[in-house]
Amino acid sequence: MKNVGRREPNVIPGFGITLGFTTFFLCAIVLIPLAALVLKAAGMDWERFVAVIASPRALASYKLSFGASLIAALVNMVFGFAIAWTLVRYDFPGRKIIDAIIDMPFALPTAVSGIALTTVFAGNGWIGQYLEPLGIQVAYTWIGITVALTLIGMPFVVRTVQPALQEVQRDLEDAAETLGAGRFYVFRRIIVPTVLPALLTGFALAFARGVGEYGSVIFIAGNMPMKTEITPLLIVIRLEEFDYAGAAALGVVMLAISFVMLLAINLLQVWGRKRTFVR
Amino acid sequence: MSIALDQVTKRYQDQPVVNDVSIEVGEGEFFVLLGPSGSGKSTLLRAIAGLTGIDHGRISLHGKDVTHVRARDRGVGLVFQNYALFRHMTVADNIEFALRVRRMKAAERRARRQELLKLVALQGMDERLPGQLSGGQQQRVAVARALAHKPQVLLLDEPFGALDLKIREELRRTIRAVQRELGITTVLVTHDQEEAFALADTIGVMNHGRLLEVGHPNDLYAQPATRFVATFLGAANLLLARQTADGIRFGTTPVNAEGSEPVQAGRQHEVVAVLRPEEVEVAEKREQLTSDFIARGSVEEIVFTGALERLRVRLLDEPSAAQLLGSGAAGDARVEITRTQPERRELPLSTGTQIALGARRLHVLPTPISSFLACAPTEAQAAELAKEPLLESLSTRMKTRVGLRAIDGLVGRPDPFAGVAAIAAGPDAGPTVEWLIRHGAAEVLVLPRNAPSPTRVFIHWTDEAVRRATLAVSASLLRHVNAEAVYLGIVADDAASAGRAAPMRQLLDARSEAHTDHGLEMRTELAIGETVTALTRNLSAGVTQMLVLGITEITEAGSAYSSLLAAQPGWPVLIVYRPAEARITPEIAA
Repeated sequence: MKNVGRREPNVIPGFGITLGFTTFFLCAIVLIPLAALVLKAAGMDWERFVAVIASPRALASYKLSFGASLIAALVNMVFGFAIAWTLVRYDFPGRKIIDAIIDMPFALPTAVSGIALTTVFAGNGWIGQYLEPLGIQVAYTWIGITVALTLIGMPFVVRTVQPALQEVQRDLEDAAETLGAGRFYVFRRIIVPTVLPALLTGFALAFARGVGEYGSVIFIAGNMPMKTEITPLLIVIRLEEFDYAGAAALGVVMLAISFVMLLAINLLQVWGRKRTFVR
Repeated sequence: MSIALDQVTKRYQDQPVVNDVSIEVGEGEFFVLLGPSGSGKSTLLRAIAGLTGIDHGRISLHGKDVTHVRARDRGVGLVFQNYALFRHMTVADNIEFALRVRRMKAAERRARRQELLKLVALQGMDERLPGQLSGGQQQRVAVARALAHKPQVLLLDEPFGALDLKIREELRRTIRAVQRELGITTVLVTHDQEEAFALADTIGVMNHGRLLEVGHPNDLYAQPATRFVATFLGAANLLLARQTADGIRFGTTPVNAEGSEPVQAGRQHEVVAVLRPEEVEVAEKREQLTSDFIARGSVEEIVFTGALERLRVRLLDEPSAAQLLGSGAAGDARVEITRTQPERRELPLSTGTQIALGARRLHVLPTPISSFLACAPTEAQAAELAKEPLLESLSTRMKTRVGLRAIDGLVGRPDPFAGVAAIAAGPDAGPTVEWLIRHGAAEVLVLPRNAPSPTRVFIHWTDEAVRRATLAVSASLLRHVNAEAVYLGIVADDAASAGRAAPMRQLLDARSEAHTDHGLEMRTELAIGETVTALTRNLSAGVTQMLVLGITEITEAGSAYSSLLAAQPGWPVLIVYRPAEARITPEIAA
């Protein structure tokens, strides 16, 4: 009873100091620049703001940016899950190497991946030369953009699903099997629901990353206005035209959408935790 | 039979984790598989459930061979130590899982669910998620879920392992009640002997992948057949005693003991006696004891545990009286004693007090291998021999000691041999074995240098008169090594045409005797030809093999079999000698 009123000891002491640091850095590197962005955009009058963000070119770029990101994230959800499954469930020679390669898109300068992809998928590239006769043009179309975004987003899905899959104990599958469930039933009713929150988080992260991606896309996209021009590129074009307010307006739209998406990710995680870890 | 396992073997990377296990569990029986971790009990349970395939043997449930039936079609219910509940589903969905798989109608499902929740006393918890329940409640849900599809057999894998004591006892009672009410055949795996006693109709004790003993809890506790069961089921002091024609003796003190078999007049041999801590009587003086005196001791430690008082007493006159196994060096032997409160009040003790110890009840293990005696020309060489890896691992696993004896020049009359004599292999081994047997040794272990622990033990006897003894020694040995047992029947060339019926019958008799009397599962093989050639051929066929050889003629070791004992690099050979007069036993005459 001696300890009543004393605070629980913690590994890192000083709640006050840590909160102070958190607030300071959040302000310095996140909030203040973002506020500046919004302020810059606010310098415009409303009609011009709407004109900029709702111009046909801007709308086409949103559609491309969000559409390609969505498709890429969906592709990643399926294949990222398969990769994570393979890495978690099987032991084979070279597993460690493949595990390390998953992180490559994180480390590689995005421009390098863009150029590499363009080389491979161009009409005369290694893969492109076989796709061309089939009438499938990858480089310089929305398909190429999707391929680039898939590459960039893949590690997000793999890395979020992997730990969740590791937590699906073999016992759960064994239990389901003794209760009479077949393999597909176990997969559908036990494995997928258990990793679903993680899978959705990975999906949202890959999607968000895709929307913001610039470096790898501009090389493979061809960057034709209205056709293969993504929103981040449009912002850069506005900047090069010294139209800072216009760039800021587009930035604010991106910011708003990103914020909504990140909020959704967090809510998903909270929901997932509630489902699995309530004590 | 509700569950029948027939010679089930499961190997991981060539190591048998379940070794030739045969079990029969009757309808409605509560069977507890008890063993330390790594004894193969969980693997065996998974094999019954169909989650683990087996390499050899057969599994039947209610008379139907299910060895190759998938887990989901076996109709068993399995409960795991960590509950294995589906955490994204409510209690209701968890329990109804098996019913949904079977496409049962919603109304029927609900009715069954209510029934099950009532059974495990969790009414009204339907819509909770597993994460919102306590550990005990979660395990109840797991039990209800495992019973939903009305399985024929309920399997529980350490179901109380993750729970604290109070909840454990409560859940234990629930499970016992549920099992009684449904009359469902149940197999529970645990390492906790108290749990086994509390629940089991029948206990099967496993160690090193082998099923050592099966029996009613009371019988196993009072009359264990192996030292492992004696020490694993409750606490036990193991004592070395001498068995003579007129009874059991510690040194010069005769004592009464249960389970001892009469020996031939003139011969005596060493036995292992089990003395339970609660069967030790304590008195100030030897004359005040109401039971047989075993030794004097000095109280070293007193621990109060509530209902009981636990004493550790150092024996004073060791080794002249009782010789204790398993602990420390000679002269440093300690006996564990427990006393009830009334006993304690009668004679309060403090550390350092000298007391006399008596044995109220002593049980002699039927094991023929009591201790080892390393024999070599000099004491130093004997000490060297005692360090042989196989001898060391055997004595450690058997919780017994290795004595040293110099037998220089094979002359003179040595002290009587007790236990299994061990000698080094080599050209002199044959004559040495002969000399040892002439001077009273009944079993001799011939060890080549650095022989590894065997993975296959061949068993052979030259005369049916030693069958019983050879099987007993083999069983005792095989309980302590991870090896498969193979009985090698040998038919002489000329007899091959004369009729093979007799040897084949001997083969089958041997197998069934090994199984019923010693709980030893062994394969049988038949070889044709000259005995030593056939033995050598079979022993040479693998790397880590061993031979147990039963003989009735003392000269056999010295002459006919000496080449087996001299071979390089050679194999460990355990020679079991019983004189042929023992032939007049009823089961052989029949």
